[in-house]
Amino acid sequence: MTGLTEQLVADYKRLCDRVADVEAENAALKTQLAGDRAIAHLLQKIGELERDKARLISTVQEQAQMTNRFVEIESELESFANLYVASFQLHSSLRVRTVVRHIRELLVQLVGVRSLGIYVIDDSARHLVPIAADGVDVSALRMIPIRDGGVCDGVEALVERTFSTGMLHVAEGETIGRPAACIPLALEDRAIGAIVVYALLEHKKRFVTVDRELFKLLGAHAAGALVSAHLWGQADGHVPSAEALREMCA
Amino acid sequence: MTVQYSCLVVEDSPMMRQLLVLALSRLKSLQITEADDGVDGLRKLAAGKFDIILTDINMPIMDGLKLVKRVRSDPAHKDVPIIVITTEGSSEDRQRALQLGANAYITKPIQAPQVIAKVRELLRIDA
Repeated sequence: MTGLTEQLVADYKRLCDRVADVEAENAALKTQLAGDRAIAHLLQKIGELERDKARLISTVQEQAQMTNRFVEIESELESFANLYVASFQLHSSLRVRTVVRHIRELLVQLVGVRSLGIYVIDDSARHLVPIAADGVDVSALRMIPIRDGGVCDGVEALVERTFSTGMLHVAEGETIGRPAACIPLALEDRAIGAIVVYALLEHKKRFVTVDRELFKLLGAHAAGALVSAHLWGQADGHVPSAEALREMCA
Repeated sequence: MTVQYSCLVVEDSPMMRQLLVLALSRLKSLQITEADDGVDGLRKLAAGKFDIILTDINMPIMDGLKLVKRVRSDPAHKDVPIIVITTEGSSEDRQRALQLGANAYITKPIQAPQVIAKVRELLRIDA
């Protein structure tokens, strides 16, 4: 009997130890499981953050593109405004003096020109004659002979070439050399003069796109505005009759 | 309701005036009045109330510096912000204008965003 009791007590103790071991093992497994879940949760979180990061990068890139586009549009708007004002002012007067003043103002105020001369062809003498200037005394400007390819100094050769070819000359890069630009003045399909841009304001180092557009506008419209103003003055402000205009329209 | 501000642009050159008005008209809350020179500017100031003045410096009859001086000595307008428009190389004029009480200056050739930013800053208009 004693032997059986001792055997039972020993079994009981062994079973108790076993239960304790199993409980410990269970606790360890629970901890490990919790750790795995935490890692899985963290991995999920990392994935979400990566997606957020990609979204943010994409948004930042889109914003940068929009900012660039905004700057471009702003610049285009500025160009259109300048061209609109230039065109408006060029044809806003039928007085030669005012038209010339507007041409000078356009170049000085909108482009940043420091000195310029406006020349008109004297067909009989084959000379370009300076009629107005800004930033330089008009009386100091020489007449430029049109020699059809003859030898003359650098500035005169360039002006003559611009006048003869009707091709706008604009100095590329820094405008240290003179002239900085030469604009042929066209009336219908013939050149009747030229505007010579001698120098730019100190801060204006080079021409930009809108400057070239303004030069083209002046080249195409300034001569017309000048001649119209002159004819209007000669006509003493008399408007052609409707009949005369109708006949010319026919 | 949008707050309305009134702006006086004093400039003798029609071209520059048109450019300034064109730039400022992008601010919808601004009502613009134009004046040909300083005397015309003072006449328009006497006839109305203005929140800001933009003036050129080199003008016939009465230049921008005299205008700034006259505006600052007038109790009715002494606090109105004034922006002077100067040409490059006229730093003396700029300094003189600021000494006389101008709040800011813009150098020609003017750029619309610069004009708008300066007016917004002085009138505290949000972008």
